Amino acid sequence: MKEPNEKQAAEQFSERAKAAFDNSVEQLDAATLSRLNRGRHVALDAVQGNRLAATWGRWLPVTGVAAAALLTMMLVRGPDAVTLPADSVADFEILLESESLEMFENLEFYSWLDSTDLDALGNAG
Amino acid sequence: MDRAIVEIRAWPGTEASVFAVSCTREPSTGANTLQREKQLNQFLAGVERRALRIAEIAIRDRDEALDLVQDAMIRLANNYAGRAEAEWMPLFYRILQNGIRDWHRRAKVRNRVLSWFGRGSSDDDYDPVAEAPDPTGRGPDEQLQSTEAMQQLERALRDLPARQREAFMLRTFEGLDVAATAIAMGCSGGSVKTHYSRAVHTLRENLGEHW
Repeated sequence: MKEPNEKQAAEQFSERAKAAFDNSVEQLDAATLSRLNRGRHVALDAVQGNRLAATWGRWLPVTGVAAAALLTMMLVRGPDAVTLPADSVADFEILLESESLEMFENLEFYSWLDSTDLDALGNAG
Repeated sequence: MDRAIVEIRAWPGTEASVFAVSCTREPSTGANTLQREKQLNQFLAGVERRALRIAEIAIRDRDEALDLVQDAMIRLANNYAGRAEAEWMPLFYRILQNGIRDWHRRAKVRNRVLSWFGRGSSDDDYDPVAEAPDPTGRGPDEQLQSTEAMQQLERALRDLPARQREAFMLRTFEGLDVAATAIAMGCSGGSVKTHYSRAVHTLRENLGEHW
């Protein structure tokens, strides 16, 4: 009968120890909890940093392949052959402007405007 | 699995050779990663307080314990975020226990160096009463009793050999089973049982029947 009592006593001791420990955990002050919270977010930021690095790392070969392809074309066909259409510069400027979004909303109107002879329209009016 | 689809083609035109590169990423991956981060956040939030107290009992310094816990969280997030969630607990405590052991090694070397110059850290530097946080919500008598019981237990735990202390804290305080404790301690299940049994026996003997 001694052995079961001993086992029971050991279990009771462990339960008491656990209760005392849990109580000490509950008593942690706000400053400590705040530091723990900050530490956790630093750890999670590290994961996000890894994810971003992995993403950029994944895009790196793509960029490399594109640059290599462009370079190959320049070498094969000569630098003069690789020229952007003249209108492209103006197109990029338009795309980079923030107001250009407004233009896209009224794209149909501008298409019509472009195809219409304004002078003829003015004379008619 | 992440997969990028890359398409390179020459722009249809005359002399101009403009290349378009389009890449497509499988959309489910980002959602999975965010879900993973959320799970990791929940896991760390659930374990951090107990981990801090366990580290604090082991090294007797709250600031250092906070650093160790943060370091363990970062290492887990960096190296094991992709592992099954069930593995996080033993892996986290394995990292933390390694950190605690390293801390003790460094402290030993530091004390040895300081002793050459006639200075050394003393056990009296740590005052558990001064370190005890403010009471929250409990009656003063009950609070005092529980705090005193924990202080006695902490002192008794510090007298234990390190491996016995680890086994007892992981099994009793964190509630890890034998297999998870074995992973956390880097030893066999049999060793865990032996360390734990000896720890309970010694603690009960040292704290007395009335603890």
